[in-house]
Amino acid sequence: MDVKRLPVVCLVATSLLLLPGCLPQEGEEGNQLEESDLTIAMIGEFKFQDTTDPITAHKSTGFHAVKEEFERLHPGVTIDFVIMPWNNYVPNTQAMIAGSQADVYQMPGVNDFAAQGLLEPLQPYIEEDAFDLSVYHDNLVEGWMTFGPEDDDLQIYSLPVLGDGRFIQYDKELFEQWGVEPLSDYPTVEEVMEKAKQMTGENPVTGEQNYGIYFAGTHDTALTATNFMEGFGGEWGTGQRWEEIELNFDSEEMEQALHAMMELSHYMPRSFVNGQGNDRWLTPSNNIAISVNQGNGNMKPIYAQELEDRFPVVQTFKNAEGVGSMFSGSPFAIGETSQNKDLAWEFIKFSSSEYFQRFLWEEWGSTPVIKEAVEWESIQEMELMTPVLEAMTNAVTPRYPWASSQPRYILQAKIEGALTGTLSVEQALKEAQAESTEWIHSR
Amino acid sequence: MKTGVEMPANVQTRRNKSIKSTLSWYVFLLPTFLGVACFIVYPVFESFRLSFYNSNGTIETWVGLTNYQRVLSQGAFWNAVYNTFYIAFFQLLLAIPIGFILASMINRINRFKSVFKVMFFLPNVTSIVAAAMIFMFVLQPEVGLINHVLDTLGLPTSPWLSDPGTSKWGVILLTIWHWIGFVIIICLANLQAISPELYEASEIDGATGFQQWLFITIPNMAGTFAFLIIMGWISGLQRFQEIFVLGGAGGSPGRSLQTMVALIYERGFGGFEFGIASAITVLLFLIILLFTVLNIKLTRLKL
Repeated sequence: MDVKRLPVVCLVATSLLLLPGCLPQEGEEGNQLEESDLTIAMIGEFKFQDTTDPITAHKSTGFHAVKEEFERLHPGVTIDFVIMPWNNYVPNTQAMIAGSQADVYQMPGVNDFAAQGLLEPLQPYIEEDAFDLSVYHDNLVEGWMTFGPEDDDLQIYSLPVLGDGRFIQYDKELFEQWGVEPLSDYPTVEEVMEKAKQMTGENPVTGEQNYGIYFAGTHDTALTATNFMEGFGGEWGTGQRWEEIELNFDSEEMEQALHAMMELSHYMPRSFVNGQGNDRWLTPSNNIAISVNQGNGNMKPIYAQELEDRFPVVQTFKNAEGVGSMFSGSPFAIGETSQNKDLAWEFIKFSSSEYFQRFLWEEWGSTPVIKEAVEWESIQEMELMTPVLEAMTNAVTPRYPWASSQPRYILQAKIEGALTGTLSVEQALKEAQAESTEWIHSR
Repeated sequence: MKTGVEMPANVQTRRNKSIKSTLSWYVFLLPTFLGVACFIVYPVFESFRLSFYNSNGTIETWVGLTNYQRVLSQGAFWNAVYNTFYIAFFQLLLAIPIGFILASMINRINRFKSVFKVMFFLPNVTSIVAAAMIFMFVLQPEVGLINHVLDTLGLPTSPWLSDPGTSKWGVILLTIWHWIGFVIIICLANLQAISPELYEASEIDGATGFQQWLFITIPNMAGTFAFLIIMGWISGLQRFQEIFVLGGAGGSPGRSLQTMVALIYERGFGGFEFGIASAITVLLFLIILLFTVLNIKLTRLKL
């Protein structure tokens, strides 16, 4: 071979070798976008293939079953799932939607995406199909309503698919050892504080160091404080669109809330500020009596260890109307650029079916969002799910509009400042209010 | 009509060959150039462009220098700059001398030299994310290893990451532990390159071991120190992963750990403020550029 041509020949050969690697591989998970009729983007631990949980040894059927079922119901249709982790789900979703990589998106940050005009309004589909929204648990559809760029009123851009709720949980065994009455189903802040104080110190039975209460001083601090504030009858503020929002971060109730949290910090492990110190929570050697702002992820380890009788669930702090705490979970939304919107709508309807909701719950442990779930044997077997399902229906809806924006980071930083003694309560809240308001006005 | 001087045929052929050969190699380099253009040049210019817009990722509005004005007037930005410099400064101040001393000791021993090299270098090959997760427990104030050791020795313990006053020192400990192996290996490479004749001559003159270290070894290490300082500053100013693990994007507690890159992440992906995030990115770029030039001048490093 002519040596002069060697580089060119090598380049062509390399390109030929690399090219097949760039093409979609038949049968490979989430890699058939060009050939698909419908692509669903989901977030979480879900898998396309069957798997076995390393903790519970529970075998889960993969999403291939959903694919087969939906394709059976819609002959000629091909659907694919793109499953991403919770870690960095916001930028990942943003990247996917910017590249029109899916038709239906699991979208916990629906407010931000709808405001960018990236989502299809669902009301016309609902009306055309006379779709019955009452299949969902109360409060859930309202909770996900938000504004598109042109809307004057809250609109439906997404419908619930995965349930979630915030609740308070306590260790019944520690309560008994300390001789303290169990928490009531709807505890007040005062009740929780009083009982937490009684259970800090050397356990009278085991002699171990116990802590009365726990909340993580990082990440969710702003949401925990807001729930304490609701327990004192306060409200985060008013408005849903940025131009209408008025915050109450420096309200009297918020001050009460932060004072309560500071007092409770004496009954918690020293490292709570850094989200540590609760390593034994939900285990047989637990040393914390009460934990606030808990989530649905707790159910799996509790039942796996057969500790369901030891860790009862009660509701978060509620205001006079019986409402309180962050509305959470995930809905499904249709991307504005989807080429298969009608089919995407069919999938959203399918996601509210008993089949799909049962699949998510029984195979993957996701809390169902439809009312009929309370009748399922698999739900009734797990008594703790009853208050968990209730918690979804009495959260503050629509979501706190500032929960995924700067005001949350600002409030979090200031509350952490107060909890670590670098700021006074009044100063922290005053600064949080001023900085957040300034941010809203200048955005 | 022909103009100019006509070249001999053999010269023309040689030139053609040379052009062809050059072209072939440029074709060979094309994929790399394309990669650089797509993944380095374009993002840099796009980030610079975005810094003049109010952008949530899809909707963009021209705002001129407003983003810079907003960023520079915010306490959170200057706090992030302070945190970044604080951690980087103390990491360099402690890791380079300690690393050099350890390298000098390893260089003097005859047995187990490789064992020590491997032992000290192991942290550097560990993922910083994994190391940070381990350090969460090492620095745990109640049951963490460091406080346990301090307590056993009768020394005062620290809340480490649970207090804004000490959290940065927790990170400094982690970064020193992680980086020191690299410092040792680089220092060892230079130590072994110093001519033994210098030491032999000094021995004849009656110099002690310490004097040799002070007057021969250290001056000959100047280039290595300059290299470590510049590389250390650049990576220190880009610090993110360990901060994100230990304190989240917000740099908990109370923004005490928030670095400039963490602030970029918070503003960009925590609230879709891509214009603001880009403005901080440009400012970070300018700071790194300024510092690198300054460091090169001060350390007189020849590139």
